[in-house]
Amino acid sequence: MSDERGFIRRYIFSTDHKVIGIQYIITGLVMALVGAALATLIRLQLGWPDHPWPLLARLLPEGYPGGVMAPEFYLALVTMHGTIMVFFFISYVLVSGFGNYLVPLHVGARDMAFPFLNMLSYWIAFVSALVLILSFFVSGGAAAAGWTAYPPLSAIAAAVPGSQMGQSIWLLSMALFIASFTMSGLNIVATVLSVRAPGMSMMRMPLTVWTYFTASILGLLAFPPLTAAAVMLLFDRHLGTSFFLPSGLIVGNKLLSNTGGSPLLWQHLFWFLGHPEVYVLLLPALGVACDIMPAFTRKPVYGYRTSVYCLWAVGALSMIVWGHHMFVSGMSPFTGEYFSLVTLTITVPMTIFGVNMLASLWGAKLELATPMLFVCGVIALFGSGGLGGLFLGNATADMQLHDTYFVVGHFHMMIGGVTLLATFAAIYFWFPKMFGRMMNETLGKAHFWLTFAPFFTIFFMQHFLGLQGAPRRYYAFTAFDYLQKTRGQNLVISLAAFLLVSAQFLFLVNFVWSLVKGRVADANPWKATTLEWTLPSPPPHGNFDTVPTVERWAYEYGVPTPDGDFAVQTVSADHVPVTA
Amino acid sequence: MTIRSSASSVVESVALRDDQVKLGLWMFLATVTMLFAAFTSAYIVRRSGSDWRPVALPSVLWWNTAVLAASSVAVEIANWYGRPEGLHYGRMNVARTASTLAMLVALALGVVFLVGQVEAWRQMRAAGVYLPTSPHSSFFFMLTGAHAVHVVAALVVLAWGTAGSVRVREPRRWAARMSLCRTFWHYLGAVWVFLFALVSLY
Repeated sequence: MSDERGFIRRYIFSTDHKVIGIQYIITGLVMALVGAALATLIRLQLGWPDHPWPLLARLLPEGYPGGVMAPEFYLALVTMHGTIMVFFFISYVLVSGFGNYLVPLHVGARDMAFPFLNMLSYWIAFVSALVLILSFFVSGGAAAAGWTAYPPLSAIAAAVPGSQMGQSIWLLSMALFIASFTMSGLNIVATVLSVRAPGMSMMRMPLTVWTYFTASILGLLAFPPLTAAAVMLLFDRHLGTSFFLPSGLIVGNKLLSNTGGSPLLWQHLFWFLGHPEVYVLLLPALGVACDIMPAFTRKPVYGYRTSVYCLWAVGALSMIVWGHHMFVSGMSPFTGEYFSLVTLTITVPMTIFGVNMLASLWGAKLELATPMLFVCGVIALFGSGGLGGLFLGNATADMQLHDTYFVVGHFHMMIGGVTLLATFAAIYFWFPKMFGRMMNETLGKAHFWLTFAPFFTIFFMQHFLGLQGAPRRYYAFTAFDYLQKTRGQNLVISLAAFLLVSAQFLFLVNFVWSLVKGRVADANPWKATTLEWTLPSPPPHGNFDTVPTVERWAYEYGVPTPDGDFAVQTVSADHVPVTA
Repeated sequence: MTIRSSASSVVESVALRDDQVKLGLWMFLATVTMLFAAFTSAYIVRRSGSDWRPVALPSVLWWNTAVLAASSVAVEIANWYGRPEGLHYGRMNVARTASTLAMLVALALGVVFLVGQVEAWRQMRAAGVYLPTSPHSSFFFMLTGAHAVHVVAALVVLAWGTAGSVRVREPRRWAARMSLCRTFWHYLGAVWVFLFALVSLY
């Protein structure tokens, strides 16, 4: 610490996977604050449309001309909220952050397979986040074509102010993000395949590692098509091509010279990434939940092998279901039937996985510490959010529900909620390993209830808004008679959203306070079995002095041992019988 | 690939092993494949548009293809001299010199290929065919451009391989480096043949 160069190499440009993981987590949490601030503005608008806000008008004169939110500004808000939360919060904290931190420790490696590449990934990711934030300050403001950036809206500068400079910067930021995320995913796959400790067979890996492994393969295969689409969109925007722009398009009373392009082509390429991407986010959430659970149920996870097989099935199926985002695009009914069929097929392995999680709770004496509370929240949201997917995956029902708040409610519960709660569970659970101190339990429990209750309220109610026909992305519903009666519901949702955002300050206070003043943690405070708990908290650079020999799977709980009722993966068969 | 054998091997240090780099390269090539697969599917979709007007492609592309193929042969020769079973320590210097020369030839031919591609673009523009002229020309410029970007990256790798032929003492490491260059370069050659066939035949 005293040596300046030492500090920079150790904490800034470090190649240590644990430092890089924590860097990702901190960056992602800062981005989450930005995303949450945008959500607050969105809910302020939807709760009180047309209400003048003089203070906001002074802070954001372009967004609030005359004190009332401009519709274009609302579009920029939802676009940036979605982009930030999907790519710069959940991807950074849960996938890259915890992926970096946990995977090498869990497989018994001294670092990632390519440590330098890892450092490069983080710094590109950092620049990408910075670039995205900068796009708020260019002329026309941030991108406003949705996180899905559908052309023509995203392709024509005159279509919406955000499609001027903002959209170009959005694409630049995404290009950097994709480069970084691909490198990071490649690293995780290589780590799992090439530097596992002796005895750590694939079928002894914790489910966390399996989920990161599957998610990373999906990312590697699904992101490049978005790169291709982004290149074509940039060409359409700046070089006069017509990949996505159709003939006869009139924008701002001007006929464009483009001919023959296909906006649907973008949708196909986007969702070829977009759908696997939701599993890239969701699977790690389920993985960490599965590995946190046994420390508080004191019994193995139920159906380890079936869960692994389900991951394979979900991974494979997720690559061929993208069309269910496009049922109303005029696709042939036969194509729609195919996409319905495979989408509903994907619910089979996912349901098995979910039932395995429920069955892991069966008959256990639950110890409801904060991480476990969040895991229960994960299971609850996964079950109830997943149910909505059955309706949306079915083309017939989706025709009615498409682009309504039903969809918004559904995906917030799944890639918003399951991942958010799993992220918190992971932070509370691995905080002692990362920083050597425990987080405060009382604040943690309060944080859970004040997160889960409003979260569920908001997005459960949004399903019903959708059933009443409320369309998403509209900045106000005041112009529609049939939606007048949803005023009250929107008000309740907004109030719950403010409660949800405020409750996160409990977490921030807990995080900072625990860093400094938290109870000092020993090596294995949760009496868990995976390899990182054999190391001091926090583990040194290079993790293991001598590479551990793995003797058993990660779920040896509920067996009498000298340590109590569990055996760490390195305990030899001579001392405790091996179950798997 | 030797994934299985590498899976349970012992980590002595954080230093990279040959099989890891090879695994990394294959995964990278998988992502590049997905990139060009996406371009190809876009091409097929856009091809069905009513405004598709094929443009004449310059004949220099055939020469470029031949140059790239010759370059692949040169890398293959360099690789042949570098392979572990072909090395007899008495003839080590001969093998090194031959391999280095072959790599330099491959590099030079790679550069000639890029120059040839630029010449093809120049000829098309001279004939009045620009990027937005027709979807066919849009795709032609974009696909050749995307391929050229990868070729530039591969030339850097070939330069690294040439340096390996000169400098790397341990035969096994030298052979590993040669084999990476070979995989990457042949792969990009194959991608070019595929793209050339796509834009000229379909």
